Amino acid sequence: MQSLDVISINLWQIIISLLNLLILCLIIKKFLYKPVKNMLSKREAELNEMYNTANDSIKRAESDEAYWKEKRESAQAEAEEIIEEATSSAKMRGEKIVAEAKDKAEGILKRAQNDAELEMEKAQDTIKREIIDVSSALAEKMLGREINIEDHRNMIDSVIEDIK
Amino acid sequence: MKSESRRFRAVDILYILMMILPLVFCIVLKVLTKPLSEGIDISGALVYFTIKMPIQDLPVTESQVNSLMVMISILGLCLYLTHGMGKGQLKTRHHIAEFLVGKADGLVKSNMDEHFRNFGPFITAILALSAFSSLISLLGLYPPTSDVNIVGGWAIVVFVLITYYKAICGPVQYIKSFCDPVLLAPLNIISEVATPISMAFRHYGNVLSGAVISVLVATGLQGLSKMIFSFLPGFLGNIPFLQIGLPAILSIYFDVFSGLLQAYIFAMLTMLYISGGFPAELFNKKKIKKI
Repeated sequence: MQSLDVISINLWQIIISLLNLLILCLIIKKFLYKPVKNMLSKREAELNEMYNTANDSIKRAESDEAYWKEKRESAQAEAEEIIEEATSSAKMRGEKIVAEAKDKAEGILKRAQNDAELEMEKAQDTIKREIIDVSSALAEKMLGREINIEDHRNMIDSVIEDIK
Repeated sequence: MKSESRRFRAVDILYILMMILPLVFCIVLKVLTKPLSEGIDISGALVYFTIKMPIQDLPVTESQVNSLMVMISILGLCLYLTHGMGKGQLKTRHHIAEFLVGKADGLVKSNMDEHFRNFGPFITAILALSAFSSLISLLGLYPPTSDVNIVGGWAIVVFVLITYYKAICGPVQYIKSFCDPVLLAPLNIISEVATPISMAFRHYGNVLSGAVISVLVATGLQGLSKMIFSFLPGFLGNIPFLQIGLPAILSIYFDVFSGLLQAYIFAMLTMLYISGGFPAELFNKKKIKKI
């Protein structure tokens, strides 16, 4: 098998190698560049999306924070109000209770006084009657005769009135 | 899931075979057809057969076949590197592909103007084809870049691109670009025509001269060791001991370093010439005119 000379120019060989280079260029464009560029653009899109979602989240978190801060402050104010109200109502109620108790106590005291007075009157009455009885019995005995009880009583009453 | 991963692996193996088999095919072809030779043998590519064509017969040579096989290998490599990209997790090879594309784009960006942004694939193709064609000699194959026809074809592509971008601004601008100083117009025309020739011969000459020097050194060392060790008895005297070592170092220089360097230089010159023929101010002017 013979071989070519070291320098031998052949038109068809040149054209073939020229076409080879162009074909390889297309091959590299299609099979190396296209997938890599696709991947890069995909990655970029993914990254952008990630950034967007992250920014959204940050924004949402900030708005949430403001919202909750406001809410917390209002809640605090409400709590203070409630406490104040509660203390005031408790005070009022306490005062009411104390007043009621005082009233009741006064009522009880008054009743007790009344009772005591009544009792005293009763006792006075009883004592009076007993004195009348005793004195009438004594006088009956002393006089030896029956005294008209009505008269007697009137008399003793007047005496006791006098004594009083 | 498992069957899919198995299918994925099968396709992977197919791509790897697509990378390796063409080179194996080249080696087998070379082993089968290479005539035994003694001493210094510097010749062009082997001619497998010749096809009758108009104008000139087309000999199908080793360099043609090798260059085709290199292209198939590169296709396999591209498919392997981008296989499964964009689906699921990124693998190491996807990062490698991304790295390669990024590097090529960076090279184009740093050497060409903004409007040549989509020249990445072309420059990558030149780099890959030239580098792999030169590196194929590491396997003992005939590097297609040491055939002037192959490199000449690439240089003609570059020349056509240069001329296209020079002529894109109109014939007046194109003619004016040669008559910068009017007296030097003939020289400018000569240098314009010389551009592809010099590019082709620079690349081709470097690779071929590397091969020639390697052959010369190896042959010389063989003769030298025959002279020195001829006193050894029997077959020991025929072993070329001096051939151990030095040719390997020369191969690192001529096959690896020189091949990659020439690929880089070729791509660099391509970028510089093309972007020099159509600078940004002309581009902007043309754009304005269009609007």
